[in-house]
Amino acid sequence: MTTDPALAALVRAAQGGDTVAMNELLDRLAPFVSRICGPIALGQGADAAQEALIAVFTSLRGLRKPEAVYGWVRQIAVREAVRVARQDRRAVPDELSELPAPGDPQLGTDIADVLARLSPEHRAILMLRDRDGMDERSAAAILGVTTGTAKSRLHRARQYFRKEWNA
Amino acid sequence: MSGSWPEARVDDLTRFRVLASGVSGARVVERRINAPFEQVWALVSDIEGSFGDIEPDMRGVTVVRREGDRVEAIARSRFGMRARLRGTVRPGWCWLQSRFLIIGIAAVPDGKGGTVVAMTGGVRVPGRAALVPIGVERAARRSLARLAAACG
Repeated sequence: MTTDPALAALVRAAQGGDTVAMNELLDRLAPFVSRICGPIALGQGADAAQEALIAVFTSLRGLRKPEAVYGWVRQIAVREAVRVARQDRRAVPDELSELPAPGDPQLGTDIADVLARLSPEHRAILMLRDRDGMDERSAAAILGVTTGTAKSRLHRARQYFRKEWNA
Repeated sequence: MSGSWPEARVDDLTRFRVLASGVSGARVVERRINAPFEQVWALVSDIEGSFGDIEPDMRGVTVVRREGDRVEAIARSRFGMRARLRGTVRPGWCWLQSRFLIIGIAAVPDGKGGTVVAMTGGVRVPGRAALVPIGVERAARRSLARLAAACG
């Protein structure tokens, strides 16, 4: 995903002011950002995706490594989704609720309902680690926290989820 | 843990605001038109016909290549200048640029029998993602008014 030469060329063209290339880049990035903002911002997902994509396109010229565009966009989208979800206090529970462990066969149709019982930060770490398979250090870097914090958040999220699911 | 994670919905109006945000000097003007999406978009997507009524600066638009939703067209402005436009035209989405022009239109059904249409565009700072910021919003409002009138 980060070494596609055609994608890097597209990013460079967009950075150079070609709005048709920007359009094509948006076609590629919008679904990617939707998949990130949905699980974190839930009901505010559309707003978060718009804010994240605007942040991407207004700062695109500052991206120094076009071949790393997806990693750069992921970081912007995760942080924007957490920020937007935090603003909507109804979406931020005071206490963690519960999630099942990765690969749990019970995990299925109601994942959005279960995610809604977690804080945006816990949804984010769960998504990065368990859905996207990201390693601890990378996930922590995206969230701007230490690996210790990321680890403990993930542990608590999984623990609460499983407990709730089996209750 | 996949397949059932929620996804955010990014419709064409949202995408349009995003793309315009990357174009310095662009202004997005939105208007609800009391006509079904299919009727509105039939007028917008008729590049060689009714498109020129909506964007009256464009005269004699000729599509020279169409490949999927990619379009290349030659247009003449009312001042006689030629523009080679290229970009994307698909249902609900039109984004075209030449060296000196950018034209953007997006539309979505509003769920009540009408259509929300967004427009942007104007004189492009040559080769850049930027518009000359003079009369941009007024031009878009006029184009939307013409489109609404054409829809009856």
